[in-house]
Amino acid sequence: MGNRLLTASVVAVISVAALVGCAEAPSSTGASSDAAGDYCARMVTNSGGLEDRSFNQSSWAGLQKAEKDAGIEVQALVSTGETDLAPNVQQAVDSGCQFVLTVGYELADATTSAAAANPDVHFSIVDEVVDAPNVKPVIFDTAQASYLAGYLAAGVSKTGKVATFGGGNQPPVTLFMDGFVDGVAAYNAAHGTQVVALGWDKVKQDGTFTGDFEDINKGKTLTESLIDQGADVILPVAGQVGEGSAAAALENPGVSVIWVDNDGFDTLPAKYHPVLLTSVLKNTEDAVAQIVTDDAAGTFDPAPFIGTLENGGVGLAPFHDLASAVPQELSDEIDALKAKIVDGSVVVTSPSTPE
Amino acid sequence: MSTTTENTAPAPTPAPVVVLAKTVITSWKAPVAFLVFTLAMFALAIFGARPGDTTFRLSSPADAIQLPEVVVPSAPTVWVVAILLAVVTIVSAAMVRAQKRVPLWLIVIFAVLFMFGFLTWAAAGSSLPMIGLLFGSLSLAVPLIYGSLAGVIGERVGVVNIAIESQLLAGAFTAAVVASVTGNLWLGVIAAMVAGVLVAMVLAVFAIRYLVDQVIVGVVLNVLVVGLTSFFYSQVLVPNAAVLNAPPRFERLPIPLLGDIPIIGPVLFKQTIIVYIMYVAVAAVYVGLFHTKWGLRLRAVGEHPQAADTVGIKVNKTRFWNVALAGAIAGLGGTFFTIGTGIAFNKEMTAGAGYIALAAVIFGQWDPIKATLAALLFGFASNLQNTLSVIGSPVPSEFMLMLPYVVTIFAVAGLVGKVRPPAASGKPYVKS
Repeated sequence: MGNRLLTASVVAVISVAALVGCAEAPSSTGASSDAAGDYCARMVTNSGGLEDRSFNQSSWAGLQKAEKDAGIEVQALVSTGETDLAPNVQQAVDSGCQFVLTVGYELADATTSAAAANPDVHFSIVDEVVDAPNVKPVIFDTAQASYLAGYLAAGVSKTGKVATFGGGNQPPVTLFMDGFVDGVAAYNAAHGTQVVALGWDKVKQDGTFTGDFEDINKGKTLTESLIDQGADVILPVAGQVGEGSAAAALENPGVSVIWVDNDGFDTLPAKYHPVLLTSVLKNTEDAVAQIVTDDAAGTFDPAPFIGTLENGGVGLAPFHDLASAVPQELSDEIDALKAKIVDGSVVVTSPSTPE
Repeated sequence: MSTTTENTAPAPTPAPVVVLAKTVITSWKAPVAFLVFTLAMFALAIFGARPGDTTFRLSSPADAIQLPEVVVPSAPTVWVVAILLAVVTIVSAAMVRAQKRVPLWLIVIFAVLFMFGFLTWAAAGSSLPMIGLLFGSLSLAVPLIYGSLAGVIGERVGVVNIAIESQLLAGAFTAAVVASVTGNLWLGVIAAMVAGVLVAMVLAVFAIRYLVDQVIVGVVLNVLVVGLTSFFYSQVLVPNAAVLNAPPRFERLPIPLLGDIPIIGPVLFKQTIIVYIMYVAVAAVYVGLFHTKWGLRLRAVGEHPQAADTVGIKVNKTRFWNVALAGAIAGLGGTFFTIGTGIAFNKEMTAGAGYIALAAVIFGQWDPIKATLAALLFGFASNLQNTLSVIGSPVPSEFMLMLPYVVTIFAVAGLVGKVRPPAASGKPYVKS
């Protein structure tokens, strides 16, 4: 018995080793022949991995889009922990590719040092600013879009209370929360209402956090606490932890959720459709695809790309199944507000706003 | 805490009466701890006074019996509580001076009073939903309790089970996939238990047959299962989410009458079947360990394998099958993450619950009931942190996130004290 088990477990270990071997090079495509010549691009993820339903996934989608449209050879190096980051960046540089994309603020240090050591290679980093002549930061002013989300939430709330929470107190997270509470305040100012936004105090820059981006069970109990306090529209800014919010909303009639980063209507299981009010979109895919394609064509500048409502880098997703819950006047007000933000007559500010 | 030891003096042959020398060791630990917490409460009353009333909501709108809300003025209540705490402290000091132990009921009274005072202070100007607070605490504790039961069985039989985390995760993964594919929740539960057993058997084979260091095998298994489930999640589950990762859920089953008891009814008896099974499992493991032949043999193997072997107990076989049983329990606990709450499987979704469960085993002195209480305490502290941050506590969020760990450490230092593991825990048995 014991021997057979041992054999089985050894087989399991070996197969894992084999699988890991696959994972390191998931998309080596030989099709790097045409227009782009021998130009190739590499991407290094943070510990979230490629299917994080967040910026790793959308950055990778951007590279794949560039591969499809411009024939650029791309590969991703998946980091599984903090200790993988610098070696993976080094490996990406050693591959001899002209372009290296890194994703997440954890990779800032590794990118900075690799960029200094390899001035001929072009780098790009998503969601973080690195100031170097060969690094192009890709950042998003998500506060603009979550401002609209806050306005919307305040408009559809029946209880007069809405809420947000984050995974951790970090600028890319709190940027959403700043915009959200300001949007609620804007609704109150326009309508003379007293809608309360729980979970974030913009002045103190502190609020409600789960402490990680994995623990869905905690996300669910935290959302139940928010619902207990009367909140009926919830904006979780915590990656997959937000699925716990959606699960809690399903059990509490009248509560809806605003997803972040991508359209939750497409990325979450279909059973959550009845509780998804909208999503605050961060269009990393198109930005990354554009930057890589431009670089392959010989155009590169280190000025940061800042996604805004104006250039479509951030936005609000359709209301989908809950469209009937949003009155036409409110929808029109949001469109008007968006136009005002784009033309600059309304300025959304946050201490975390990228510059 | 004080201990009383009795030494039997050797009886001299001529004397007909045996004289017992009695030594009383008194401990000032409890009064000193009480004093520290009392001073903290006075500090809150003096320096941290917050205006407004605190409302304790004792019923949720869905409950059959509605209790009125309890509203207390925050600042005066904190003062009253602080004074009461001071009284308890003086009483306990007097008891120790009189060479008596501080009884457990006094510690409980102190803890409840302190918690009431702290909540009154922290929630000044807002209302605390007690049902939601306690319900969420239990939800956070369920996987910890299952995990700690698995840990208790493993260590009592002599195998350190660091791999609880991987057994929970394997259970969560398998339950989600099997229940999604078959549409049958019970098949999901069975599959989760099988997955837990398989992980446990790998541990058992390496630890018992090949004498590999148990801690190292456990750590490797944790990493292995994280890798395996993450790989299958991204390569198989994500592309076919509608078929493979859309698990149904166990609905809540309110128990008639019990579910209508104020406060504890909605918290304990309006749960899913997974939670009810947990109540039974805790009782079964406790009775089994301490009141059956199975438990006696199990503990014998974990305390003194040579002795157990001498009386004909097959040490390694006993260890192997009980570690497998522990894996089944942990795998069952893993179902709570997915089909127990109706959430699809996600990468690393157990988020370290197995490690906290391991801590609960030690804090609970390798006793299923005490380990359960330790897990509940952790769950309560976690959800208290949630609730307080939601109602806008004056404490910074980073500090609040430490609360569950701080509370657990203080409780262990104050209440548990010195712990002694099963003597042969972690030591492989080789017949000489």
